[in-house]
Amino acid sequence: MIELLLTVNGTPRTIEVEVRTTLLEVLREGLLLTGTKEACGVGECGSCMILLDGEPMPSCLVLAADADRCNVETVEGLASDGVLDEIQRAFVDTGAFQCGFCTPGMLVAAKALLRDHPDATPGEIKQGLSGVLCRCGSYTKIMKAFEVLTGRKT
Amino acid sequence: MTTHVGRRVPRVDAREKVTGTAVYGVDVRLPGMLHGATLRSPYPHARIISIDTKAAAAAPGVEVIVTGRGFPFIFGSAIKDQPFLAIDRVRYVGEPVVAIAARTEAQAQEAVDLLKVEYEVLPAVLDPLQALEVDAPLVHPDMHTYDRGPHEIVPNTNINTLWTFERGDVQAGFAAADLVVEDEFTAHALSHAALEPHVAVARYEAATGAYTVWVSTDRPFQLRGELTAALGIPSDKMRLIVANVGGSFGGKNTLIAESIAVALARYAGGAPVRVEFSREDDLVATQTRVPAIMKIKTGVTNDGILTARSADILWDSGAYTSNTVGVAIRGSSTIFGPYRIPDLALVARQVYTNRAITGSYRGYGTTQVTWACESQMDMIAARLEIDPVAFRIRNAYEEGDSYINEQIMHGVGLRESLERTSDEIGWGDVDRRPAPHLRRGKGIATMIKPTATPTSSNCVIKVEDDGRVSVLVAAPEIGSGQATVLAQMAADAVGVPIESVVIPPTDTAFSPFNGPVASSRTTYHVGNAIRMAGGDVREKILATAAEVLGFEPEILELVDGKIVVEGESVTTVAGLLGGFGFEGHSVTAEARFTTRGSPLLKAPPPYDWMSSIFWMFATHAVELEVDTETGVVRIIKVAAAQDVGRAINPMTCEQQIEGGVVMGISNALFEEFKGSGGRIENGSFAEYKLAAMPDLPEIIPIIVESDHSEAPFGAKGVGEPAAAATPPAIANALYDAVGIRITDLPLTAEKVLEAIAEAAARDGE
Repeated sequence: MIELLLTVNGTPRTIEVEVRTTLLEVLREGLLLTGTKEACGVGECGSCMILLDGEPMPSCLVLAADADRCNVETVEGLASDGVLDEIQRAFVDTGAFQCGFCTPGMLVAAKALLRDHPDATPGEIKQGLSGVLCRCGSYTKIMKAFEVLTGRKT
Repeated sequence: MTTHVGRRVPRVDAREKVTGTAVYGVDVRLPGMLHGATLRSPYPHARIISIDTKAAAAAPGVEVIVTGRGFPFIFGSAIKDQPFLAIDRVRYVGEPVVAIAARTEAQAQEAVDLLKVEYEVLPAVLDPLQALEVDAPLVHPDMHTYDRGPHEIVPNTNINTLWTFERGDVQAGFAAADLVVEDEFTAHALSHAALEPHVAVARYEAATGAYTVWVSTDRPFQLRGELTAALGIPSDKMRLIVANVGGSFGGKNTLIAESIAVALARYAGGAPVRVEFSREDDLVATQTRVPAIMKIKTGVTNDGILTARSADILWDSGAYTSNTVGVAIRGSSTIFGPYRIPDLALVARQVYTNRAITGSYRGYGTTQVTWACESQMDMIAARLEIDPVAFRIRNAYEEGDSYINEQIMHGVGLRESLERTSDEIGWGDVDRRPAPHLRRGKGIATMIKPTATPTSSNCVIKVEDDGRVSVLVAAPEIGSGQATVLAQMAADAVGVPIESVVIPPTDTAFSPFNGPVASSRTTYHVGNAIRMAGGDVREKILATAAEVLGFEPEILELVDGKIVVEGESVTTVAGLLGGFGFEGHSVTAEARFTTRGSPLLKAPPPYDWMSSIFWMFATHAVELEVDTETGVVRIIKVAAAQDVGRAINPMTCEQQIEGGVVMGISNALFEEFKGSGGRIENGSFAEYKLAAMPDLPEIIPIIVESDHSEAPFGAKGVGEPAAAATPPAIANALYDAVGIRITDLPLTAEKVLEAIAEAAARDGE
């Protein structure tokens, strides 16, 4: 067992984990932050996307030990004091989800994308979110959400 | 008075889904929970000689080991043919053979690796044509002894379903035609690939003999029925609880993880047991779309009037029938398309093979037959040199036409869907060669689908003394937005704001019965039950108000949660019922809605069962671009129209239509299982590619509305037709772009490139 210090959604957390534990397991099983989902376990679907020191990363591919002393942001950290952030608001208003299983990963990826490209073009949006699969096919409505967020027609 | 229906109301599940607080099947955690893992068959067909569990039993953390012999029950909907765990014989690669529950998932998996099973490999049936050969091995030699429903089988063969249909005189119909064409099409197996994998948590209490299972399914009452029938226990001993479902698409409606969890729970001493499938198992060892080989022969006059059609369809159920019998029969019946064709004949057979089980897939067989029907429609149009849109409109069903079983069709918005999609795509106007290596084309396809009929839905509405309105219905939210449209209908039926409507999770112990959340039936059927119970509960509230406030009931109205007298609000529902204080006052009403006996279903026997309470129509028009050097197809734009009756919520209708198009593109261009010897070898999203954001074209959803006299607030279903018309529309656009016709799905770049080369060689001759 090793002891780690993670800052999760702004709160410092000290946790003990086995060496081979993934960051996804720490979030879901250890910290009960079950918003982050696992759909493939090998980094191919993006349902478990989180921000690791600000960068989008499939948390199933990150060993928890490698996240020691890092900042981790998950879907649970988007709203503050129960108030949805602008991306969540846009997803609600445009209906940019259906079953919602990919939504936590999609929102987190969208946050990084919007931070780096506040004026993202349709091509940049599609590329920036290409790592998150949505089987319900909500992609059109996600583009609409970005129209709201960027003020630019997609 | 309508205040919520028809509006783009934000989804009622939005907040929990964007904050990560929505609970899905994978999120269920119970104290003392054990974790299951499964040893699966490495062979498509083999006899189990021995199972050695000694080493596994001694492994750390192991609590339960169960084999097929240890839990020897059989389930199935149309044919009881499937064991919870293989008994003596395995019939497909990936079939569960031994299940282990341990304290952690890793321990369970490590123990599975210590199991030793000795097999005697048997000759296997690896494709449906081989299954028909006279000397083919039999996948189920004892099929004729199994418990089963009334449909026809052929004993001592692999044919588990035989269905024939005739109308008129098909030979005379062909004789009356100027042109008769005969073609063969194949539709491939597809993974549902819901992002939430198959998962279940089961608990067994020895003292009462009762199971509780937390499931992720769209069919709670039907799964309960299959489980109680298999185990021979009463319904109260099998309780199913469903939270959010992370996508189904027809894939989460049979016993998959549930059967393994139940078998383990039986011996877990009261501990809950959780079974979650890995993505690989989810892709390669669970239900896929039923593959089909379809021969279709059509007669047509020179001016484009269809005279006759015959079809011979071969479906591959895989090793067990699951729910494929219905798919094979109802799916086959729609190969005649949404067209008036006087003379018809059909033979549909479904065979067992030693392949993974197959089953319903968004559209219940219509995606396969629509592929054949709509590809051939364009092949005929090309032969006759007539416009594909005009050809379809000339034969398309109109309001009041007779369906193939003589049901008078009602609520038919088909022609408008053809007209509006072709307008939107700019039919007839193509920039054919935007670059030397690029070609563009446009194509169209349409479809028809019935809904399961007759079926019923129950609803209980409970109004609490704080004005909250609980709508108890067994309609789990699988993603398609039904919680929202049901809440909208409930709000209007009762006369309260949507914010006060709550739809609790489905629990078979408390929720009233409902048919499956399938067949695009929920809005119509559950909506009708809500409309009935909602009106009743409103009357009861007003009667209470009249009594308490001393008004004549006739002058009272319930508007937006307020009791209104001559336009003036005198109190609220919460004020009225809350006024009872400690004594308390809750108002309830219930309703059952069934489509049995509706005059709309009238048709002569023996095919009266083919009547559908409503008919669904969708038309997709596609513009695409082909790279003639690589064969890569890029979809530019899709106009997708669907007759929804009346849209309860235009936004959720659009979600279904747009999502269906994405799925149709993915199905047509990317998705394909690969492997050999009965083994699927591409069990990952890297190798089984789904459409992603960069594949997204411009999608224009078009909501067509038609009148339906018995629909709740006018609404029909939306979910299934949305995916079926895209693949043939793409194939037809490919033909328009480069003159190639591919009849076997998927339309991969390699196939496109090869077909372009063949066409070039042919043109060069």
